[in-house]
This record gives sequence, C-alpha cells and structure tokens, in this order.
Amino acid sequence: MYRVMRLAAIALMLATTGIFAGAPPLAAPAARQSPAKAAAMAENPHDISGYWELSFDSRKIPPSDLAPGVTKTILEQKAAADARAIRYCNLVGTPSVMDPGRPLDIREGTREVIITADVNASPRHIYLDRAKHISADEFDTTSNGDSIGHWDGDALLVDTVGFDPKKGLVQIPGGGFRTADSHLTERYRLLEDGSVLSVVFTWEDAKVFRTPHTYEFRYYRMPRQYEPVPAWKCDPYDEIRNKFLENPIGMK
Amino acid sequence: MRRRAPAHLNESRARMRRFAWMLSCAVLATGVFVSLAPESPALAQSSPATGAAKGIEGDWVRTDSGGSGSFGGLSDKFKKAELTPAGQGTVANSGRPPTGPAYTEDRVHKPGDPYIVVEKPCGAGGPFAGGGLGVNPDSNAIHIVQQKDEVVIAPERNGVRRIYTDGRRQADVSKWTPTGSGHGVGHYEGKVLVVDTVGLAPGPVPGGGYRTTETHLTERFEVSPDGRHLTIHYTYSDPKIYVTPHSYDYTFDRLPVGSYAFEDWCDAGDPHERESITIPEQK
Repeated sequence: MYRVMRLAAIALMLATTGIFAGAPPLAAPAARQSPAKAAAMAENPHDISGYWELSFDSRKIPPSDLAPGVTKTILEQKAAADARAIRYCNLVGTPSVMDPGRPLDIREGTREVIITADVNASPRHIYLDRAKHISADEFDTTSNGDSIGHWDGDALLVDTVGFDPKKGLVQIPGGGFRTADSHLTERYRLLEDGSVLSVVFTWEDAKVFRTPHTYEFRYYRMPRQYEPVPAWKCDPYDEIRNKFLENPIGMK
Repeated sequence: MRRRAPAHLNESRARMRRFAWMLSCAVLATGVFVSLAPESPALAQSSPATGAAKGIEGDWVRTDSGGSGSFGGLSDKFKKAELTPAGQGTVANSGRPPTGPAYTEDRVHKPGDPYIVVEKPCGAGGPFAGGGLGVNPDSNAIHIVQQKDEVVIAPERNGVRRIYTDGRRQADVSKWTPTGSGHGVGHYEGKVLVVDTVGLAPGPVPGGGYRTTETHLTERFEVSPDGRHLTIHYTYSDPKIYVTPHSYDYTFDRLPVGSYAFEDWCDAGDPHERESITIPEQK
C-alpha cells in the first residue's frame, strides 16, 4: 500500500512538472501599462521592428552651431529649394523622412533594417552586412545616402554618407542643411521595456557646422495590430494645392 | 489511561507522514517549475521566419526566362486569361491612351526639338503606385526584408508593399482604400511563403486579365534549393472577371552579395522628364 502511494506521489510530481513545463510562465501581476508597452516587453532588445510615432513631446532639438560661411542668403536659398521640392512632390529624403507626420515602419531583417514612411520618400536601407560604405566612385548619391549599421551593446549605430545635395529636403532640424560632404551618425536604442525608440542624430559637415550638431527624437511604439492607412498621394499637378503652396495666405 | 498504539499502526502513520511530505514536495516542485520554465516551443508564437523562409530575403531582379526581349513579349507567352463576358468588357474599356503629344502629332522634329511622350511625368496615381511594383515588379530590383510580423517588398520607386505575417485577418475591402499593392496577409507552407491579397487598385493583369478591389490574388514565393532564384506563382481569382483562375509565373535572380538599392528619382518640375528622343544636331 505504502509502495503504491509512494509511486503515486513520484508520478504526480513528474506529471505536474511535465505539464507545467509546457505551459507559459505565469505573468507578473499586470501593472497598469499600455497594450503597446505590454507587447513590447516580450520583444527582442536587438530588434527595433515595429510601427513608431512621434508625438508632441518627442523632439529635443537644440539650435545648431553654424559655420561662419553659412550666411543668411545661403539659408534662404536652401529654404527656397526645399519649398520647390515640396511643390513638385520630390522624394523628401533624410532627415525629413524621419519626421514624416505619420508613423514609421521599421523592419529589421538579417541583412538590413528598412525604414519606410507613407509619404513621398524612398525607403531607408540600413545594411547590417557591410562594414564599409560603397565607394564614392561607384555610388549614385541619393536623398537618403548610403547607410550601414551594427549593434554595439544595446544600441544600433548607423553611419550615413553619400547624400545628394540636389535631392530631397536638405534643411536639418535646429538649423543648417546637408551637402554632398555631410556625415550623419545615428544611435537607436529601445527604452522603457521596448515601448520607446530613442534616435540620436549627429550631423558633421565642416562647411555647415562649426561643431557637430546633435538632436534626439523619441518615438512611441504603436500597438501590434496597427496598420498604416494609405497616404494621400502627393500630386504635383493639383493646381489648387500648388496655389496654396505658392501664393500668399488668403490669395485663391 | 492512554494506551500505547500498536507498532504496526505507528509505522503506518509514519509512512503516511512521509507520503504527505512527498506530496508537499511535488506541489512545491510544480511551483518552482512554473516560475522557471521556459516558453514551450509548441506554444511559442509561431514564427514564419524559418531558416528556409529567410531565403526570400535579399535583392532580386526579374529574369526573361523565355528570351522574349520585352515585358510585353514575356507576358505574351503566358496562358491567356479566360474572361467572362463582363471581364471582356472591362478589359476592352480599360485601356489608357498615351498622353504625350508625340503619339498623335504628325510632324518630324528638328534637331534639338524633343519629342514629348509624357504629359505629366512623376504622376501620383495609377495601378503601379502605392507599392504596386511590389506586386508586379518591372526591370528595377525589388528588395525584400523579412521580419516575423511583416515582410516588406521595396521596389525602387512608387512606394513599398507590406505583407502581414503575424496572423491578422484579411482586410474588409468595403472599408479599405484600394492601392497598387492592396492588403496582403501571408503564412508559410513549409518553405513557401503564401500570400493572399485583396483591395488592389483596378488595373490590368499580365496575360490579358484585369483586377478589381474584390479580386483575390494568391502568390506563392518559392526560392530554389541553391537560393539563387525566386519564382513567384500568381493566381488571380474573381468570378466576375475570370471563368477560371488566371495563373502565371515570374522568375527572379538574386543579386550578388554587396548589392544595394538604387533610388529612382523623378522631378516633376524638370521639363526634361517629359521628353523622349531629341534628335542631335547633324554635322
């Protein structure tokens, strides 16, 4: 009798541990948290994939320290060039694609991280399988440049060169503009259990900045089921739109 | 006066105590395993990103497998779509005439006078916008990035295409704004990515077909065993348009290691964007 009871106890112990080993671990008592944050807690800390949105409190942008050669006239020329690019629905490029007015879609694969925005912009391709930039002799410059990245601890470090000064919106938050010689470094980090994405941008260009210009955006993760709504298409032949952009306020 | 219990009874009670102690240990052990047990593979969120599925990730360019020499020549070899009467009428009425004056004018241009073939270059709409080239790629490469919740197909112009692989439901087309790439959901059948797409902007389909927002497009993305070739098998189903589902294949070669995406630039404010041939000065 005792032997049977002992065997039953052992069997019960083995059976229950086998059952519960297959069950999901008990969750910590649910604290008050957003669905996005709850989902983010299970994410890989080395995967910044998701939909990310800037809010009104997302931007820390100090004024830039411009080089002496950057005159008021030059800044006005760059602003006019950007206004023309907007009028003709040109691809906006970097840095504007990182603050597009709609959530960014970031997907990290094994070979690259792709950043897309539902505005008129080319995707940003951040190559993880290259340690060097494409040779300047070979690379056709673009509105986003050539980006390479690697993980360093908890940060994805991205390095970009190869911007085309005639493509996209060239003005940089905080003042200044990008040129063919501009060098952008970015630092991406997940914060608050993966529900916030911090991106620190640093622009270096001796012709434009006396000292490197740095600012930070913090994006909030959208819920997992979020889907982008198709964007309104930019139509360079919409005359009502064009008059709005080109004419003084109040003029039809 | 208390009587001493029989020896056999004492022994039985001791065994019961030992049994109770073992049962308590069993309960304690389950509590320990509950808190320490890793997530079972059987219950873990199924990931579509298997080693084989990673094969579709990368840079791909279409191939002319039949030596046709042109996109039209290539699709001319597809089995022609079997259309319903309504479908035939839709196709007949769907042609978009070219917009540039060069197609209709009856004069020979002098050197330096360009032929204008596009009235409105870099236009906003059309079935190839909104990621449509991720459904029907042209001569530009497509760049595929695969993450467990989403596959992104990025053509080199006109937007990206997203395929949701996180198990979400297909969109309700009555509430969906049609786009060139529609709303796609995908899953893996072994090594093959199977995608169902609805909500496509109306437009032509290779092989003489047509699609509406209600048309179902099923695609099977299959990589060759050596990883160098991709075949996308397309099947359009729509009882209003097709007598039987219409199918054809596109084939792709993987671009070499170190390849990168180009940017297809178009400036609507540049008058040269409207031009085709400009006869040079004759000397």
